[in-house]
Formats: sequence, C-alpha cells, structure tokens
Amino acid sequence: MPPDTSIVYTPRSEASQSIRVIRPASLSLTDLAGHVQSLTRHAGLIYTLSEHRIRVRYKQSMLGVTWAIVQPVALMAMYTMIFSFVAHIQTNGIPYPIFVFTGLVPWTYFSTALTAGTSALVSHSNLITKVYFPREILPLTYVIVGLFDFLIASSLLAGLILISRVPVNANILYVLPVIAIMTMFVIAMVLILSATQVRFRDVGLGMPLLLQIWMFATPIVYPLSAVAKLPRPLGWLYRVNPMVGMIENFRRTVLQGMAPDFAILCAPMVVTTVLLPVAYLYFKRVESTAADVI
Amino acid sequence: MIDLRFDRVSKRYLIPHEAENHGSSHPWMRKLRSLWRTPREFWAVREVSFEVKRGEALGIIGHNGAGKSTILKLLASITAPSAGEITINGRAAALIEVGSGFHPELTGRENVYLSGSILGMPRNEIGQKIESIIDFAEIREFIDIPVKRYSSGMYVRLGFAIAAHLEPEILLLDEVLAVGDMAFQRKCLDRVRALRQAGRTIVFISHDLNAVEALCDRVLLMQRGEVIADGPPGEVIGQYKALSTKGTTSPFSGIGPVREWRDLDVRGDRVVRLRRVRVCGEDGATMSAVDIRHPVGIEIT
Repeated sequence: MPPDTSIVYTPRSEASQSIRVIRPASLSLTDLAGHVQSLTRHAGLIYTLSEHRIRVRYKQSMLGVTWAIVQPVALMAMYTMIFSFVAHIQTNGIPYPIFVFTGLVPWTYFSTALTAGTSALVSHSNLITKVYFPREILPLTYVIVGLFDFLIASSLLAGLILISRVPVNANILYVLPVIAIMTMFVIAMVLILSATQVRFRDVGLGMPLLLQIWMFATPIVYPLSAVAKLPRPLGWLYRVNPMVGMIENFRRTVLQGMAPDFAILCAPMVVTTVLLPVAYLYFKRVESTAADVI
Repeated sequence: MIDLRFDRVSKRYLIPHEAENHGSSHPWMRKLRSLWRTPREFWAVREVSFEVKRGEALGIIGHNGAGKSTILKLLASITAPSAGEITINGRAAALIEVGSGFHPELTGRENVYLSGSILGMPRNEIGQKIESIIDFAEIREFIDIPVKRYSSGMYVRLGFAIAAHLEPEILLLDEVLAVGDMAFQRKCLDRVRALRQAGRTIVFISHDLNAVEALCDRVLLMQRGEVIADGPPGEVIGQYKALSTKGTTSPFSGIGPVREWRDLDVRGDRVVRLRRVRVCGEDGATMSAVDIRHPVGIEIT
C-alpha cells in the first residue's frame, strides 16, 4: 500500500471553544430547551436517516413506492366488503369505500409510525452502544417516513375524491392542523413506547393487539354518530381516545366540507400538549442509560 | 488549555437479578419478584479524575474489565455517568467500531453519507470529501454496489476511510486499529499520527502496548475501575507488565527471565551441571518480555 498524502489535517486553532458538560441524568423542564437545541443541530442526520429508510424499504421490492398505498387500499376493499354487504353502516350518503378510505389513510400513518417507531431503539442497538447522537432521532425518522407514505396515500385519496365528485371547500385546509396535532401525538407516543421497550420488550409484542383494539375504538370503519348511544363508562372512555377527535375531524373537513368539531378536538389537543414534553423528558432520562441495558 | 476533564466520575451498572428458581413458584411470580428486588450494583468506574490537555495523546491501558471502555463510552456520551462531571471542550468523535451505521442494502456511496452523518459530519462536508474517502478506502470500482457484497476487508477499509476524514477536535479510539491487515493497520496509525501532529487531542484505548507507547504522550493504567498509575508511557507500561506477571497463577509465576542455581542445590551430576537458564534477545541482552517479531534465544549454562 503506498503511503498516502490525500488528507491534510488543518491544525486546530487555539481559540476554538465549545464546552460541554456531562452530568448524571436529571429530570427537569429547563433541560428541555437544550435537548431541542441539540436536536436542531442534527437536522442533517434526521434528513439522511429518513431518506435512507425510504430508500432501503423500496430497494429490493418490485412495487416500490406503491407499497405506501397497498395497505390502505387493501383494507378499504376488505372493509367495504364487510360493512356494505354483510353489515350495513349508515355513512350519510357518502359512498362507503371513500368514507372508509378517508379514515384509513390517517390511521395507517398513525399505526405504521407507531409500530416502526416503537422498536426504533431496540432495532438499532448496535448503533446505540457504539455512536452518540440524540437517540430521539431514531423514532423520529420513522414518523417522518410514515408522513411520507401518508402524503402518497393522500394523493390517491385526492384522486378518489375528484373522481367521485365529493364537493370540497376551503374547510379542507383544516386537515393541516389536524395532521400536525396527530404528528405531535404520534411523536409523543413513540418516544414513550420506544424508551419503554428498551427494558420491556412486551411493548413491541403487545403493539399489534393494541393497535387492533385501538382501531375499532376509533371511528374509522363507522361514523362517530353510530356510537352516540354507548353506555356510560364506555362512552366516557371512547371520548378520551385522542384518535377519535383527529380521525373524525379529518373526515369532516375532507369529505363533508365542514369546519372541525372543536369539542372533540379538545381531547387530543390537551393530551398532546401535556404528553409531548413529558414524553421527551422521560425519553431523555431513559436514553442516558439505554446503552447499558439494551 | 484543558480539552477533557473527568471530575470524580463514577459509573454504576445495575445487574438485575435473574429470575431465580425458588422451587415451586410460578415463573411469572419469579419475574415479578425480580422486578421489585433491588438489582446488584457494579461500579465499572469509581471516582476517576483526570485531565487531558489540548494536543495531548492519552493512552488508557489495563486488564479486561478494568473500566477502559466505560471511560471511552462516557467521553463519547454513549452512556451517562452515575456521579461526577465530565467536561469536554471541542467536537469529539468516538471510533468504537469501524463501519458503524452501515446498512447492508445500501451502496458504498450511500453508506458514506449515512455513516458520515451518524458520526457527526455535516452533509455538505461529506459531499466535498467523498472522492477522497473513496480513494483512501481503495474501492473505487465497488463504490456503487451494496456493501452486503463487500469483502470484510473492503467493509473495514471504507469504514475507516470515513472515520479518517472526520477531523474531530478530539478523537476517541477504542481498539479499532486492531482490524485489517498489517499494511492497513500501519496506514491507520499514520492517520492518527497526522491528526496528532495537527494538534488534535487523542484518547486511545488498546491492548497493543507497542502502539500505545508509540502514539501516546501519557498513559493511564486502570484496575477495577480506578486509575492506579498516570505518567509517561514507558513507566506506566512497565508497571502494567509487572502487574500482569504478578497476578498470573501459571506454574511459571515468580520466575524471571534469568534463573541461577547455587552449587549445593544444583540439578545434575558430576559430568553435566545446570547452572543458569536465561532468555535473551538477538543482541544477547536478557529480556523480560518477548516480542514475537524478533528472534529469541534461550541460553543454558
């Protein structure tokens, strides 16, 4: 091997200073700003990792990006079969396939981001024990990939809406804040679940079951009006589910051209504002020893 | 100027009780019980304090389990200390494993971006350096095929080429130089030397005492989580060697490179008598440690 002179290291200037102090992990709200700041410094890594996830996913598959719509479309076909032929569900005059697809698109975003994000730390244990970067980047990139798939599925939804001539008005712009709240909520969830999974793998194992129950506890295959008469404790529980307000309002603004129902959007907004900072602090707390137990 | 400071840093690992088998109880009960029991503690690093000046190359040596790697993980922020304070002044990069963050499905070029970003290189900087990285790794023809088809040598070369282009202000190295063939190892060492000459601070952990001696200005010797010696390489390495021979329980313990017998208890008879056995080097001087790269002689008198 010839001696190489390809890299010349520039001498380090005496003046350069960027002092960092590492202390035992603590739980305080004041740390939050620092965490966010260090996260923004890693924006490039977030971008590269998300891009890489999308690339890898489609690298050895024939259908490529179309996989992003296969799941909601297949589920749409299945639920249409069950709920418009076997059991009849009233959807206020909206064709059932479009009705259910409008619920499935945001739900698929939520459930895929949650499933993948939850195992983000555990599936990268080799990185976590060898290199440092803010660990929340790992679950975050899965949320970003979910958002990417969501955009692809949404364009199909837009096509369906155009073809079936569902009237659309300016209220459709309300989907943006709804999706923003949903994204914040899913980030909070993956932070908590991925951190918990470091110690208890049960979280990942229970995830499919949890999501299945959660899906039927959310107005996706049926309209919200169908559950108006739930008996007391169940009805209360139902309203606490933050996904109810988000999915229902997504459908309201997209299909019915109405302004969001803020009464049911309250629960997800409150839950998310409280949960996100708490989840982040909890995650950072676990992060400090994650490399030891993972 | 001080680049790294450890101030009474300790690191505790918790070893959970395994669900022990207490006769008749149900496995679930045992699992539950192990959750409540306070786990056993293991202090990998105890109250360690040291400072590294800017431009200094510090070596850390010690037996397996002495806490060397834990120190490096603490410096690299991979794990947080249980007590004490670590101050780092500058951009630190840890090289604990070559090829960290490689994804098998991605091509070499894509992996340079991926691994480079994970190791903390900004994207535009990777763009500028990618050609130089490919040349350094000597894999230009294969750069656009997935790394899962790489030979292990190519994989390691690419990994190190990325690391060599990191230009950290503080470089943390853990035994990574022990990969690749001799020529590549030499190339890696040259790179570390070049970084040193550019005034970068280096912390180097290794069992390769020759490399430590050649590279470092100062060496810490660790034992059971504590620093037991701190000084110039020659001195500390000597102490470490003494420690190593003392602790062994081999049948040869306590035997130095020379053994002589006085006339009375000597073995043999009137014709042949064993007086002295000695291990010596090429030049005939007595050697206490054997370097396998040089000829060794055994003199029997």
